[in-house]
Amino acid sequence: MPIYNPETEKAIAKIKETKAKVVCIQLPDGMKPYAKDIEEQITKETDARVLIWLGSNFGACDIPLGLPKLGVDLFIAWGHNPFHKKKEGW
Amino acid sequence: MDVLFLEAPYSGEVNLCAATLNYLKKEKYTKVALYASVQFCNNLEIVKQQLEKANIAVITSKPDRTHVKSQLLGCDNYHSSLHLAEKELQEIDAYLYVGDGKFHPLALVYAQKDSAVMKEIICNDPMRKAMTLMGLDDIKTKLRRYRGALLKFFSAKDVGVIITVKPGQEHLRPSFFLEKIFPEKKFYYFIDDTVSFNQLENFPFIEVWVNTACPRIGFDDQLQFRKGVINLNDALNAKEILSTESVINRI
Repeated sequence: MPIYNPETEKAIAKIKETKAKVVCIQLPDGMKPYAKDIEEQITKETDARVLIWLGSNFGACDIPLGLPKLGVDLFIAWGHNPFHKKKEGW
Repeated sequence: MDVLFLEAPYSGEVNLCAATLNYLKKEKYTKVALYASVQFCNNLEIVKQQLEKANIAVITSKPDRTHVKSQLLGCDNYHSSLHLAEKELQEIDAYLYVGDGKFHPLALVYAQKDSAVMKEIICNDPMRKAMTLMGLDDIKTKLRRYRGALLKFFSAKDVGVIITVKPGQEHLRPSFFLEKIFPEKKFYYFIDDTVSFNQLENFPFIEVWVNTACPRIGFDDQLQFRKGVINLNDALNAKEILSTESVINRI
């Protein structure tokens, strides 16, 4: 990961803290090639199964629906911080 | 389900390159509004020191949808998004954006479409150590097309409103205000996960589209909408937008 710090240690700490068994990771396009490295680090240091989100990662507004039905306990999105949606729309 | 966001901050030093500093000096700028994408916005100390040394005052803010001060999101592309007072906006010489790519700084250009004047955006890329300028020329064609869609919206009877269901993007209830403002129009509500551009042609009775998902779709993806598209906020304020002495009405 030459340019951006993936902060994988924070992801691993959160997985351990929440005792997550199934984790879905979502990466921006520029980080998608590093999904293999991140998956390997997580599975090496935790017992969690990692699912990699294939689709878009437009922002923190773009959290996929339906993940709990797959048993996902924890969703980790890279490249964003919390999004503050305006109640009135725009 | 728990959710964790990781910012993936830039690993290198965040500073202004020589080209940016030289440009600011050449233009004799004395005040800028500073913003950065999430990978850079928590590490702007050196940039601020460089500006102070160059006697350039800095203002900034926490835009509407962001999490921290000085952060810029691509969707904070409305006149009111930045929460800067009109007086402050008038006083700055330019916007200074720190980050890579065009997506985020373009928000600052679109945000000025309803302003009387447009101020340039100086983009400083710490990775390439390069500076680029951004302004009206970057969006002129899109703004003309957008204004055309606004005019089309006014005359249209059957309007398609696109609602996406992801919680951060869904704006169903705000879109119902359209019916109050434009009782003479018939609004059809289309629900989707991500906007399926290839499905639009299957509804030929729609004369123009209103986008309620990411507001950048209304600008950046215009060509995907053969019938034209405007964003919900602009549809709700269409009369005011088209009646002011603003950038979008002068191009």
